[in-house]
Amino acid sequence: MKYMIHAVKMLFKSAMQYRASLVMQVLAQFVMTAGEMLAVVVLLSRFKAVGHWGAGEIMFFFGVMQASFALTELFGRGITSFPWFVQRGEFDALILRPRPLLTQVLVSQLDPRRIGGVTVGVIAMLVAGSRLNITWTLTKALLLAEVVLGSMLLVLGLFLIEATMSFFSVKSIEMVNILTYGGRTACQYPVDIFPGVLRFLFTYLAPFAMCMHWPVSWVIGAPMLSLPTWAYFLTPLAGAAFFALMVRIWYMGVRQYRSTGT
Amino acid sequence: MPFIEAHSLGKTYVRYAAPKNGGISRLWRREKQEIEALSDASFTIEQGELVGLIGPNGAGKSTTVKLLTGILTPTSGSCTVDGRTPWENRKEHVRHLGAVFGQRTQLWWDVPIRDSFLLLRDIYDIDNVTWQKRLDALVDALELEGFLNAPLRQLSLGQRMRAELCGSLLHAPKLLFLDEPTIGLDAVSKLKLRAFLKEENEKNGTTILLTTHDMEDMLALCSRVMVLGHGRLLYDGALDLLLKQYDTVHTLRVVYEQTPDMGTLPCNVKQDGDAFILTYEPAVTPTSELLPRVLSAGSVREMTLKEQNVDELIARMYKELAL
Repeated sequence: MKYMIHAVKMLFKSAMQYRASLVMQVLAQFVMTAGEMLAVVVLLSRFKAVGHWGAGEIMFFFGVMQASFALTELFGRGITSFPWFVQRGEFDALILRPRPLLTQVLVSQLDPRRIGGVTVGVIAMLVAGSRLNITWTLTKALLLAEVVLGSMLLVLGLFLIEATMSFFSVKSIEMVNILTYGGRTACQYPVDIFPGVLRFLFTYLAPFAMCMHWPVSWVIGAPMLSLPTWAYFLTPLAGAAFFALMVRIWYMGVRQYRSTGT
Repeated sequence: MPFIEAHSLGKTYVRYAAPKNGGISRLWRREKQEIEALSDASFTIEQGELVGLIGPNGAGKSTTVKLLTGILTPTSGSCTVDGRTPWENRKEHVRHLGAVFGQRTQLWWDVPIRDSFLLLRDIYDIDNVTWQKRLDALVDALELEGFLNAPLRQLSLGQRMRAELCGSLLHAPKLLFLDEPTIGLDAVSKLKLRAFLKEENEKNGTTILLTTHDMEDMLALCSRVMVLGHGRLLYDGALDLLLKQYDTVHTLRVVYEQTPDMGTLPCNVKQDGDAFILTYEPAVTPTSELLPRVLSAGSVREMTLKEQNVDELIARMYKELAL
């Protein structure tokens, strides 16, 4: 843990070496994500509601998704850029260090530009939260924190699929992008506005509904399901489970790599 | 028990390539190709040895290094380093291992190298006192004082190589792998680097395994070499013995006051300006027999005995072994 914190600190220090460039990139990311937010605002001002969801609710879901996804991109760049890492043969250097391999990959890179995206997500949540007049309690705040963590693990797990494929020299990245970036775009709206197949996909296979939509709907006072409060604390664990599964598969890839050496 | 013990170590890569013929089915048919990168290599290395690994490109050098470092698992055979199997006890194995791989950096590009060394301290769990002592000693030996606060990207190639070495030795590894450590360095840096490695090996008993194409490195550092070719260990032993085996032709350069009659000399004669280049095989014509005849052929103004260049020797060896 000490090593992880130290390594991440150093990555931030590295990024600060190019301060002006960093500021510009954060701004660019902010503008891009804000553009997406504006698109949602325009849509809502035209149609007032999506399914049975009102404008404030939709905006809150949007904020949670943007913040979680951008945070994952911020800290998960080691995994998203892993295919290049393997191609350049840099993975070998990690095998030569006495630390868990995935930990090393995670703290090998950072994408500080995504701070821009995180900011937009937080702003969306704040604006929507005040429009919905949510009365905040400690329970709701804790649950929201868990939702963000669970969703981050889910997205990280999705990124890991792509990383694992690079061990088998398969380049079907587009297939995976349906789940990751497709998942981000689709699941910024609650899953129940979608037809059956998509709803199934994003509830059970890539469980965005469990990690995000179900508990968030309870936080904003419009629960999608009638579950007891404690149950909402359980469903985001699906993200952790998904991540754990993908980690196992990734390590199978490592075994393959070490026997083929490609 | 020897420090490193390899027993008929072998590694076969499987590649899939499109078949050469077969029309449109080439699009989906794949032919399995097996490439034997290393086969049946057995050797032992004792603690404190300095061994050179040589051979042409693709001979199996890097496969051998990757097996010994535990990056790869072998297809056959067994190997222990310090009693551990490299590819099974990864973390424990690499804790006592240092490596510098060519021009690929293991330090962090954008931060002062001191920060990199601090992070390495945490990666290897070195306590602060030990780390500081070791760092001071290495910085002193590698002359890095002035650069500790400079980021790696601002260092010259020679400085960077020294920084890499410092990083790979901070945790006082028992075994150090070096891949082309002097590549691209100027003459002074090369000499200093070799002196440092020699000292590290002698003073701390660090076992060093190095691959290089630089024969001067070999001569200066390694008393023992292992020659690999086509995935086989072809020679394992003293470097001088190996060189003697291929050092079969000697060259003599003679300048006479007046052009003499060279026809009767028992050697190959070539004229180069006003000099004669005589090549002969000491095994056939001993030098003691040839020299008096060269001297009596005319009045000699200048004479030099040219030593065989090591690169040429190695090239001849590769040629004879059909590598």
